[in-house]
Amino acid sequence: MGKFIIIGERIHCISPSINKAMQERDPEPILKRAREQIEAGATYLDVNIGPSEKGGEDLMKWAVTTIQQACDNVPLCLDTSNKKAIEAGISVYNRSKGKPIVNSADAGDRIENIDLAAANEAIVLALCSKAGISSDNDERMGYCQELLERGMGLGLEPEDIWFDPLFLVVKGMQDKQMEVLNFIKDLSDMGLNSTGGLSNISNMMPKHIRPIMDSAMVAMAMFCGLTSAIANPQDLRLMETIRSSDVIKSNTLYADSYLEI
Amino acid sequence: MPFKQVPQKFNAKINALTIGVGEKEITLGGENVFPFYTFDAPIENSPKIGVEISDLGAYTDVPGIAAYYAGSDTLPEIAKRASEMPGADFLAISLDGAHPDNGNRSVEDTAALVKSISDAVDIPLVIEGSRNIEKDAKLFEKIAEALQGKNVLFLSAREENYKSVSAAAAMAYGQKIGAESAVDINLAKQLNVLISQMGVKTESVAMNLGSAAAGYGFEYVATTFDRVKSAALAQNDNMLQMPIITPVSSEVWTVKESIVSEEDFPDWGPAEARGVSMEISTAAACLAAGSNAVILRHPESVATVSKLIADLM
Repeated sequence: MGKFIIIGERIHCISPSINKAMQERDPEPILKRAREQIEAGATYLDVNIGPSEKGGEDLMKWAVTTIQQACDNVPLCLDTSNKKAIEAGISVYNRSKGKPIVNSADAGDRIENIDLAAANEAIVLALCSKAGISSDNDERMGYCQELLERGMGLGLEPEDIWFDPLFLVVKGMQDKQMEVLNFIKDLSDMGLNSTGGLSNISNMMPKHIRPIMDSAMVAMAMFCGLTSAIANPQDLRLMETIRSSDVIKSNTLYADSYLEI
Repeated sequence: MPFKQVPQKFNAKINALTIGVGEKEITLGGENVFPFYTFDAPIENSPKIGVEISDLGAYTDVPGIAAYYAGSDTLPEIAKRASEMPGADFLAISLDGAHPDNGNRSVEDTAALVKSISDAVDIPLVIEGSRNIEKDAKLFEKIAEALQGKNVLFLSAREENYKSVSAAAAMAYGQKIGAESAVDINLAKQLNVLISQMGVKTESVAMNLGSAAAGYGFEYVATTFDRVKSAALAQNDNMLQMPIITPVSSEVWTVKESIVSEEDFPDWGPAEARGVSMEISTAAACLAAGSNAVILRHPESVATVSKLIADLM
């Protein structure tokens, strides 16, 4: 197995400074976050431009070229509900460091993003849900099969569909946590890749607790076979946990400086 | 059922490290497949062979080696003769005479001696140390300065002296260095990390992962090489993608099988043939496990291993 893949989540239009930079086409605030995340150990960077129904294509093109040109063609995860914007982003995307990721498909309204990924030789994040949260793992697995069959039917390699079990918030859905972990184990047993928005679990918790909870979850999820996460690589505790778990899983060879590389 | 070949493709490769200058320069590494797996992808740079001499002369206690160097008296003559050995890709000089317990030749005199060797040969040079850590750091600095522009490889930077060797040989004078660990896979990676954190480009570094004569714990050597190659290729670990260079001769020509006389062990046959067999079998095993270069002494070993490589490529 390769090392755990971190998709850095910090280029997100929900952040006022990033939103402003995107609207004004001001590269610096975005590049600053890009560089910080790469330095901290992100493999991929998520680029969330929001729904961007107007002007999304231009914005995504601008964001992809701006970030890749300044950051040695870092691979990107194109995150918007605007399909045309994703396609526009891919049209200017440089693949030398990795395929683009389409964020995301599900078994409901967004199932056509599977087709989009297949047509563009991209990786796709595939949420195992349809409308709202799946009620149990049978339902998650049903969607997983549906998405997998659709993708393979269109020529996608199974390894290019990264299944997202949907991490659930502990405060309110504490009883669902082991179910999510067991689903990750099921995906892993099928040899499939997996990912998800890890920090969902610690939503609404006090700020100083979140890295602790996220770290515990990532370690348990990696044990179950999680292969990547959309997360904040500048969360030092989280990154230390991921790097240590990578060593324990023999995803990477141990060296005394393993936390620094 | 017909056999369907599925090439084992890796999106990672061993760094290509060039030593020497001009027509005779050589490149170690560069491949993206396991050793000799030319059926998966072409291997551009075949494994290389170095011929070892000492700064005290050739290793003439073995008759076949003595015969090869007969008539070459000065060190530059010996070096030239070594460089002409059929199958030799580079020359390795062991600085035995600079060791404090073995003559303790001064840093300046040793550098001058190595310079005279360098002037006499046109194949790339690998400078092996005196096996004294403090002395090596000083020797390497002076020799790196004296051989500026010759693109030589220094064996080795170790845990105890990597800072001075990296700073002097690689950074100040642009030479190449080998990171040495003794069959310790975690230390091998750690040394590469530390050397790269010093600012030395990973493309300037080779690894001497240690060795053992066949039969002397070689399985540890083989599994170490295997694990390193698989981390480098399958896990794309850029802290283990340096080519591997293995001094074989210094291990094999000291073990019992190579040195006890036929008089004492009549059943074992002639000593020299045994030593050559040890050198060939150890070198072949190192190459099969992942060495990109081996260092040998006996002309017969060099010829045999050279043919082996050519036939397998």
